[in-house]
Amino acid sequence: MNRSLPFEIFRYGAILLALAVTLIPTLWMASMAFKPIAEWSAAGADLTWWPKSPTLDNFRFIFGTSTSDLIVALDRTAGKPILASLLSAVFGTLIAMTAGTAGAYGLSRFGSGQNLPLALIQLRLFPPMAVMIPVMIMWAFFGLVDTWWGLALIYGIVTLPFAFWLMKTFFDDMPREIEDAALVEGCSRLRVFMKITLPMMRPALASSALFVFILNWSDYLIALLLTTREWVTIPVYMASLSSSMTGQLYGAKAALGLIAAVPPVIMGIAIQKHLVRGLTFGALKQ
Amino acid sequence: MSMLATKEKLSVTGDLSTPETRIEDGGRRLGLMLTLPAQVLVLFIAVFPLLMQLYISLTDWSPLDGIGWWHAYELWNNFANYTDLAADSRFWDALGRTALVMLICVPAEFLLGLGLAILFMDNFAGKRVFYSIMLIPMMVVPAVTGYMFFMLFQSGGPVNDIISTLIGRPFALAWLSSPGTAMVAVMIADIWQWTPLMFLILLAGLVGVPEDQMRAATLLGASWTQRFHTIVLPKMKTIIIIALSIRVIENFKIFDTLYIMTGGGPGVATETISVYIYKVTQQDLIWGYVAAIALVILIALSILVSLAISRMNAAKEA
Repeated sequence: MNRSLPFEIFRYGAILLALAVTLIPTLWMASMAFKPIAEWSAAGADLTWWPKSPTLDNFRFIFGTSTSDLIVALDRTAGKPILASLLSAVFGTLIAMTAGTAGAYGLSRFGSGQNLPLALIQLRLFPPMAVMIPVMIMWAFFGLVDTWWGLALIYGIVTLPFAFWLMKTFFDDMPREIEDAALVEGCSRLRVFMKITLPMMRPALASSALFVFILNWSDYLIALLLTTREWVTIPVYMASLSSSMTGQLYGAKAALGLIAAVPPVIMGIAIQKHLVRGLTFGALKQ
Repeated sequence: MSMLATKEKLSVTGDLSTPETRIEDGGRRLGLMLTLPAQVLVLFIAVFPLLMQLYISLTDWSPLDGIGWWHAYELWNNFANYTDLAADSRFWDALGRTALVMLICVPAEFLLGLGLAILFMDNFAGKRVFYSIMLIPMMVVPAVTGYMFFMLFQSGGPVNDIISTLIGRPFALAWLSSPGTAMVAVMIADIWQWTPLMFLILLAGLVGVPEDQMRAATLLGASWTQRFHTIVLPKMKTIIIIALSIRVIENFKIFDTLYIMTGGGPGVATETISVYIYKVTQQDLIWGYVAAIALVILIALSILVSLAISRMNAAKEA
């Protein structure tokens, strides 16, 4: 519509400002991850925006290799927390996607489980903090506290609403003629679902799974309540990365933060065109 | 991005299913089978835990008592948790702070997101790249965002450095350790992270506004504001409601970024409702009381939501 020159100047100015605000915090952390300890913090004029002598020491440090600058020894390295985050997020995604896809298909094609859409919205609505007491008691009862599989189970339940709603909108959009043709040729309903529908939905399944994975990978509160030592995830471990001897281990935390932040950002950009659908429970599509 | 098309439908009230005219028994059985796992998980996390929560909330039970939760009736306390809650000023203060954060952050995110979305409505050089970069904050793990802003707001950090350069003299405010500014820093982090979500949803809505109507209105001499009021806004109503509801709901739960930045402090200056419940759960370990708080919040939210849904349905039919 408006294409006048002043408008274009205003537009680029505003967008560049927004880009700067968007990127500076991220770049500050990325730059911090490669700074040697001497450049971590400095007041006033000495502030280093870009590492003067870039180093990989921070990454070596969190993986347990001793470095000349950081004499503190870690009582555990970042390896296991990264594994914990990966396992719980991957298996949580599997649980949510399996139950969500099957349920969405059942509702979309056969009208079963009419209560599910609203029940799942409600599940998403409530703050996790407000249902955690019974969950902590139940998880302790089943021996699921401080295990990656216990985390995976609660992640699967917490993200089930997204998996269900996303897959429901994808199934609703799918033309039924192909399924009907296979039915006419004598395939059973289950066979049609497994052999025809699911393979056709592969791109939708992949996008939904990535979306659910990002949500699981991003959790902090649930892991904080349900893990104590053995299987703490990256964010919980990160918070423990400070010692009374060194104070805040800025560089080490930034290195770990970078490791945690990169996968979801890449995945999120990859599934950009489905983000609106995912975030609005399928109410809006791009 | 030019091919964005919007389908307006309210998720909560939309058509829940489209049952075919005749589904034979086999289909019905398969449908039940397929929905069973989701049903079991919902039951497992909703019904039983809520009953347990109700039971425990009527007692003084704590995991330190050494008796199983099913024996909690021995510590029955005649609804004392609920009467305590009414007089618990720390709870009401936390609730007030949560509301304050919501009242500032959600409108700020909405206005910034809407402004950016309007700038992105038509094509210009670099649009795709800019669009992708704009979305980055909402994909950063919230706990990491918290840590990022924790670093930024240190007294020797980059925020103070930029301010020093702008005002031309040293500026060394310890943002996170003074009560007033800690809250400001927390809100800035929330706005940074979630403006992109508003931008994304509102842009999807704006692109769905019919172009021919807009062009016709322009030809008839309607000004930009007129077109916005008479064509864009009515089309966008549902989308705006969805975007605002999502942020209101998520913002109410605010915990990760805030807890990493300030831990609810200094003192209780940034203690929101989730942080307050977390502290009572982990530090004071009075789980009977926590269960009562949680139930009150759940019931209050349910009432608010059913009111909102029925009002929206009424508006839709009108």
